[in-house]
Amino acid sequence: MIDPRLFEEFRDIGRDIYVAGLTSSHGGNMSVRAGSRVIIKRRGAQLGRLKIEDFIETKLNAKDSGITRASTELIVHRTVYQKTSALAIIHCHPRTAIALSLTRDEIIPIDVEGSYLLHKVPVVAAEFASGSQEMADIVADTLREYKILMLRGHGVFSTGQTLEEAFHWISCLEEASDIILETHLLGEERKEFRKHSESYSKW
Amino acid sequence: MHGWAGKILDIDLTNHAIRTLPLDAEKARLFLGGRGLGARLLWDLVGPQVDPLSESNVLIFAAGPLTASGAQTSNRFTVSTKSPLTGTVLDANSGGWWGMQFKRTGYDVLIVRGKASQPTQIQITPDGVKIEDASLLWGKTVSETTAALGQDNNRRNVLCIGPAGENLSRISAIMNDGTRSLARGGPGAVMGNKNLKAITVVGSDKNAPEDRDLFRFMLYETGKLIKASPLTSQALPEFGTAAVMNVVNTIGALPTRNFQASQFENAERVSGEQLTDDLLVRNQACWACPIACTRVTRTEKAEGEGPEYESTWAFGPQCGIDRLDVIAEANYLCNDLGLDTISAGSTIGCAMEMAERGLIDSPLRFGRADLLHDTLRDIAYRRGLGDELAEGSYRFAAAHGAPELSMSAKRLELPAYDPRGMQGQGLLYATSNRGGCHMRGNMLGPEVLALPRLIDRFATQGKAGIVAIHQHSAAAIDSLLLCKFTNLAVAEEYFARLLTAVTGQSYKADDLMRIGERVWNLERLYNLREGFTRADDTLPPRLLNEPSPAGPSAGFTVRLEPMLEEYYEFRGWDTNGVPTPAKLKMLELDSLVAVKEDTP
Ligand code: SF4
Repeated sequence: MIDPRLFEEFRDIGRDIYVAGLTSSHGGNMSVRAGSRVIIKRRGAQLGRLKIEDFIETKLNAKDSGITRASTELIVHRTVYQKTSALAIIHCHPRTAIALSLTRDEIIPIDVEGSYLLHKVPVVAAEFASGSQEMADIVADTLREYKILMLRGHGVFSTGQTLEEAFHWISCLEEASDIILETHLLGEERKEFRKHSESYSKW
Repeated sequence: MHGWAGKILDIDLTNHAIRTLPLDAEKARLFLGGRGLGARLLWDLVGPQVDPLSESNVLIFAAGPLTASGAQTSNRFTVSTKSPLTGTVLDANSGGWWGMQFKRTGYDVLIVRGKASQPTQIQITPDGVKIEDASLLWGKTVSETTAALGQDNNRRNVLCIGPAGENLSRISAIMNDGTRSLARGGPGAVMGNKNLKAITVVGSDKNAPEDRDLFRFMLYETGKLIKASPLTSQALPEFGTAAVMNVVNTIGALPTRNFQASQFENAERVSGEQLTDDLLVRNQACWACPIACTRVTRTEKAEGEGPEYESTWAFGPQCGIDRLDVIAEANYLCNDLGLDTISAGSTIGCAMEMAERGLIDSPLRFGRADLLHDTLRDIAYRRGLGDELAEGSYRFAAAHGAPELSMSAKRLELPAYDPRGMQGQGLLYATSNRGGCHMRGNMLGPEVLALPRLIDRFATQGKAGIVAIHQHSAAAIDSLLLCKFTNLAVAEEYFARLLTAVTGQSYKADDLMRIGERVWNLERLYNLREGFTRADDTLPPRLLNEPSPAGPSAGFTVRLEPMLEEYYEFRGWDTNGVPTPAKLKMLELDSLVAVKEDTP
């Protein structure tokens, strides 16, 4: 049974993600790890309108009946928890970051906060971009080194010790992506102000 | 060298044998250095048949791959041994200069075995390794010994024991650079038992980064975070670690009068702010540290280093004492006698409660500041009641029929956070491999300081994972080796890249966390081999059964069982707290459980 305090965190962050335009009405999912279990949003529940019955609990390392109602991305969440130290995962569809993921192999923020918090966000691609073990492995292996990544043309996977932390990285990435896009649209020469910025691609 | 010097110095004091052994590259890969490598070597060298205070116990001094690299706070080293206080695996680490200087002697590890027949000292310099007589130093205090051996911060550094270690107090520290301590768990007594008074180091090697560009970039990025965080750039330099005194008291998590209460009515008087106003002469930094949390203070009678938060608490709220000058002087005394301040203060607090309850015949009472200094001297020299207190609070209280009044976990005195107001801290104390300790993944960060995010300090669901992750992170940092205060501003992804830059080998953030998990599990295996069981993963009954009496944590006890269950599950341990074969295989520890005694 999900702890009411934990449910409130899911509900509030789900609402924030939807209201901020970081996902479509039925897109995206969230989970946390508790012991050897995963608490994850059920398939089809709207991120912006979560209720306490929208959550299911399933085992981390073994299949159980919980999977019948779990989000399609459960396999990714499980694999990430198995391979990394993440305790919370959020997946959603931030549109500017998705646009950038279609044109580049990494997103390197150019603003202060994005540079400071993210340095570089890798873009990975999988042939079946949803719910496959292949994709799960690529995502999990990348998240051993980075706390957040973009899946090309699909969306973001972000991790943290809490949902709030994972949300922070997504919010920051989308803001950084907007700034990259808008700076590009200005069509003017960009003035570099960050020391060692040439090293960000090595992050 | 790039991270590792590749050499172990192995000294047997019984027969004065000095050997240089190669550092096994596989062990370095799996355990890095410091605490991790120390635990791995201890696993081979000290089995369950060994009495910690016998000559078969060893002292393993170890630097890490980042030690002396010039990375922020890369000054630290560890000592690993079997603890005479807890009987568990033990490591303690310290800052200052000695660790940096030791690494520059060209060794990663110093193993000291056996027992000298008379007081002895070791000198490691570019001229070679010498074992020399120390009869004239025996009986001297830490400051006298350190000065006599020519301490010179950046050139020549002295590590020694004081009278407490010589007299085999189970709460005695090993001191380095005069005022820094490897304190917890009684390593001073192991050194005293070996008749080893001091180790002096002079080095000339360099730990130079393999990838200089990446190293420069990482120094810059790490420095930026340390400057940007108010904790590392303002609170710690201005107020020292005691900056958290008022914060912890306000939320009702400041243990008071042997944990009978969770708030101290005079906390303001012993706060970091008050220390700065009344006693601070200047702040000071360990080698290569931009934070400079160390206090140099002066009272009407004396000048010295400290006190930091835990020591202030131990001699202050824990003993019902609100005189900062008396507390600071108690801290100077412990440094000079070579005593663990937390255990000493907590043990005295325990004795105060026992005296108030009529369980012992002693004038000690809460608030009796006038008795504090003499009691500390009595502990170090094992005089009168001090002889019993030198055994630590658990043995002392148990000898008088009241073990429940020892506020300890696995016999290590708990530090300055009442876990009834910080549930995760309770789980941390109960599961800490060296006994109740806050330096194995302090929950102060997430439960109080919002680092990395604020979590509900009274909640229990989901707590186990956060505790375990913090335990892994702490074990990794202790193996690198850096000061954990950097972790208040800098995350593991930075440390991994620093390690990559120095060693030239690629490390991901999660590689470090995996190493931390491996170290944690190895330490657990060690304790299981010593006979510890699930029943030892517990807390004093007071914290489990007596609700906090007043303040914001009023009514709470530590709800340990549900957290412990979730914790074992999270770790992939069985319900008895034993790592499963699958977990050991995943951590590449599976071969170890079949390993018999061998040499490193
Ligand atoms: S933060 Fe304090 S203890 Fe840590 S290295 Fe710096 S001065 Fe030393």
